[in-house]
Amino acid sequence: MSEKVGVYICHCGTNIAKTVDVEEVALWAGEQDHVDVAREYKFMCSSLGQELIEEDIKEKGLTKIVVASCSPHMHEKTFRTACVRGGLNPFMFEMANIREHDSWTTDDREAATLKAKALTKAAIERVIHNQPLEPLPVEINPNTLVVGGGIAGISAALELAEAGNHVYLVEREPSIGGHMAQLDKTFPTLDCSACILTPKMVDVGQHPNITLLTYSEVEAVGGYLGNFDVTVRKKARYVDEEHCTGCGICIEKCPYKVVDNVFEAGLGARKVIYRPFPQAVPKYPVIDTENCVYFQRGKCKACQIFCPTDPNSIDFEQQDEILQIVVGNIILATGFDLFDVSQIPQYGYGRLANVFTSLEFERMVNASGPTDGKIVLRDLETPPESVVIIHCVGSRDENYHKYCSKVCCMYSLKFAHLIHERLPEAEVYNCYIDMRTPGKGYEEFYNRLLEEGTHFIRGKVAEVSDVARIEEEEGKLIVQVADTLISKQRRIPVDMVILSPAMEARNDSQEVSQLFRMGCDFDGFFVERHPKLDPVATMTEGIYIAGACQGPKDVPDTVSQGAAAAARVASFISRGTVMMEPIRASINQELCSGCRICNTMCPYNAIVFHEDSNVSEVITALCQGCGTCVAACPSGIITGAHFTNDQLLAQIEGILWDVRSNLDLVPVE
Amino acid sequence: MAAKLTFSKEIANLLYAMHGNPIKDCIQCGTCSGTCPAVEFMDHSPRELIAMIGANLKDEVLHSNTYWSCASCYYCNVRCPAGIDIADLMYALKRYSMWKDQYKKDLIGPKFSESFVKMIMRTGRSFEPVLAPSYIFKYGTRGIIQEAQTASALVLKGRLPLLPKKIKRLENLKRMVRRIIPIGEPS
Repeated sequence: MSEKVGVYICHCGTNIAKTVDVEEVALWAGEQDHVDVAREYKFMCSSLGQELIEEDIKEKGLTKIVVASCSPHMHEKTFRTACVRGGLNPFMFEMANIREHDSWTTDDREAATLKAKALTKAAIERVIHNQPLEPLPVEINPNTLVVGGGIAGISAALELAEAGNHVYLVEREPSIGGHMAQLDKTFPTLDCSACILTPKMVDVGQHPNITLLTYSEVEAVGGYLGNFDVTVRKKARYVDEEHCTGCGICIEKCPYKVVDNVFEAGLGARKVIYRPFPQAVPKYPVIDTENCVYFQRGKCKACQIFCPTDPNSIDFEQQDEILQIVVGNIILATGFDLFDVSQIPQYGYGRLANVFTSLEFERMVNASGPTDGKIVLRDLETPPESVVIIHCVGSRDENYHKYCSKVCCMYSLKFAHLIHERLPEAEVYNCYIDMRTPGKGYEEFYNRLLEEGTHFIRGKVAEVSDVARIEEEEGKLIVQVADTLISKQRRIPVDMVILSPAMEARNDSQEVSQLFRMGCDFDGFFVERHPKLDPVATMTEGIYIAGACQGPKDVPDTVSQGAAAAARVASFISRGTVMMEPIRASINQELCSGCRICNTMCPYNAIVFHEDSNVSEVITALCQGCGTCVAACPSGIITGAHFTNDQLLAQIEGILWDVRSNLDLVPVE
Repeated sequence: MAAKLTFSKEIANLLYAMHGNPIKDCIQCGTCSGTCPAVEFMDHSPRELIAMIGANLKDEVLHSNTYWSCASCYYCNVRCPAGIDIADLMYALKRYSMWKDQYKKDLIGPKFSESFVKMIMRTGRSFEPVLAPSYIFKYGTRGIIQEAQTASALVLKGRLPLLPKKIKRLENLKRMVRRIIPIGEPS
C-alpha cells in the first residue's frame, strides 16, 4: 500500500525560523519518498494551520501526517485532533520537535537546518509504520485522597466535599490546621488566623462527605489515575474515638508536662496526653508514648482513672490500624518546614537567649499562646525596649536556599506592627535586602508601617553578638549591619532579635515524591506540570499538588491552589471516564515460551501467567505502557503499541539519513 | 564585532579565570561591608566597590584604598549569599592596579606587596628584614627603635637569620607561580 505523507514545517513565529531555514527544509521534505505535500507555515498550531492539515487530508487523500514544530507536550494533542477532523486515526500522526531540540539550542543556522531535516526525516520514516489505535476508556473512582490537613488540604477537601464527592483527608499530626493554626494574625488585613481557620476545620470535621484520618500516614500507593490503591497507617492514639467526648479531664489530670516542640515551637509546655490546641479537630486527645510514665514505667494511669465515659475511652492496648482505600485522584498538600536557623552561627540562635524564630514569636503574640500574647524576652517577664527583625534568614543565600521565601517580608512587617501595637514605646528595626510586597493591599501595609515609625535598614545583617564595645552595648544584643543606603556600618544594641527563616520543603519530601511517583526539584519542592499554565497538576496523571509543598507561598495563594486542585479533580470525577492513550504492551500468545521473566519485571503487576496454557498475558487495564517487558522478553515477542520495532528502527534510520547516504551503507533487511 | 572590553568585564574576567562566581551576581545586600573588620579604614566599603566596578568607575575604583586595606580574613567570602570570592576580588584588583600602574601612590600596600612577591620569587621564603623598609618608616622614631629591639632579640635567640635562606628547587616554585599568575616573572 502506498502511503501519502503530508509534512508541515512550523516557523513558530521566529522561534524556529530565526535559526532553521524552514523553506529549505520544506522543499527538501517534498522530495522525500512517500511525501505528497510539504509546506511551511508561520504558526501550525493556529486554527488556519490546523485547517491546512484538514483540507490536505480531504483533498489530496493524505494517509499520514508529520508536523515539525515544538514539543509534543505542547501541541501533539492539537494536531492529533486536527487529523481526526480530517478523517484520520489520531495515531497516523507524528511530531518532530525542531524547537526545544533544535532551534533553541544553537545559533548555527546551517547545523540547525541539517538537524531539522534529520528530525523531520525520522518522523517521516516512522509515520509510515504507524498503525491506527483506539483510545482506552478508564473509569474514574469518585473518591479523592487529600494528603495534608493544613489550609491547602482543608480548602481542597471542602471544595470537593461540597460538590458531593467523598474525600479522605489524611493528616500526620493529631489535629488538622497546619501552620496556619499556629499564627496569630494574618497579613495584610490582620484578621485573627484562628478565627478564620477554625470554622473551616469544624466544617471538615463534621462534613458527611469527608473521612478525616488524623494522626495517620500514607504508607503505600499503587494503581494509577482513576484507581489508586492507598495504604494508610492510622497510628494508635490510645484514646477510643467512639466513646471519647473530648471533655479534656484526662488532660487536666495528667501529672506530667513536656516542652511542646511542634505546636508551641518549643516556647510552651503541654501535657503528655494532649490536644495540640483548644480548637483542635478532631477533639480527641492523644498519648505521647515516649514521655508517658505508664508506657515507660508501667505506672500512673491517671487519665484512665479519671476518664468519665462508660466504657472508659483510654485504651492502652490500642494498636496501629492499617486501612486500605481506593481513590480516583490524589491531592498532595503536605506543606513546608521552617529553615533551621541554628545552621547560621553568626545569628546566634540557641546561643544567645533572646534571639527568636518567627514561629516562636507567632506563638508569643498569640493570645492563646504560652505568654498569653505578651511580648517578652526569654525570661518570660521583661518586655523588650528595642527589637530587630532580620529578613532573608536562609533565603536568597547560595549557602542555604537560593530562592526568595516570598512571605517573610510581609510577616516581618506584621511583626513590627504587632510590636508597635502592644509596646508603643519600643523601637523596631527591619533589616531587609529588598522589600518585596507584591499583592493586594501589601504595599499599603508597608506604607502603614513606614507611618508607624518602624526603622527600615537596607542591609543583610552580618552578625548578632553579645560582645559590647562601648557602654551602651553592655548587656544588649548587638546587631552589626551595613546600612547600604547611607553607606555606614552600624552596630545596633537591642533587647530582642527575631529571625525570619526561609520556608523549605518538608525534610521527607524526597521520599513522599517517590511514594507518589511524581517529581521533586533540587530544593525538595514538588514539580508542577507547567509553571504557568498547569501549576497544580504533576507529571503523573491523577496526582495534584497544592500549597507550600509546591513552593513558598502565603495563605491566599495556598487557598487558591487548594481550590484549583479540587476543581481539576472534580472535572475528572464528573466526566466519569477518561480516555487513556492505548499505548500498551501485548504478548504474542502463540510464540510465548512461558519463561515468566516479564512477570517479575512489570512494575505495575499487569502481567498474569496462565498455568494451563503456559503463557503470559498483559492485562490491558493495568498496563501503563512503560515498555520494560518489551525490552526484557528474550524471544522478542512482546510488542508495545505505537512503539513497535518497525517504527523505532525506521525512526533511527531516518535520523541517520545523511550518514547513510554518505557511507553508502545499505540497511540490513 | 568584538565585544567592547569594559573595566567591569576585565575585572569579571579576572574572577572567571580564578573560577569564582561572577561579581554580577551581587545583590548589594551589604553582608561583606557589615562583616568586614577593616571597613573603617576603607574609603569605600567592599559592597560599594563592587557596585562601582559594575558602573565602570575605573579611576575611582583603582584609586580607592579599599583593596589595599583588605586583611584577607575571608569572612566576607564565607558569608556572601551570592557566593562571590570578595577577598580574591581584592587580590585581583591589587594585581590589576599594579600591572596598569594605576594605584594610590602614598600607600604601604603596593610597595609591601611588590617587595613581598619579589622576595618570594628570589628565595622561596619570607624574610622579614627585606620587607621592613616598606612599612617601618611610617612608625615614627619610637616605633623603629622598638622594632629594632625585637629584631635583635630574635637574632640573638637564633630565631631570625641574618641572611635570607633559599628553598631547594626554587625553579619549580617559580614555574608554578608563573602558571598561576603572570606576575610571577622575576624582575
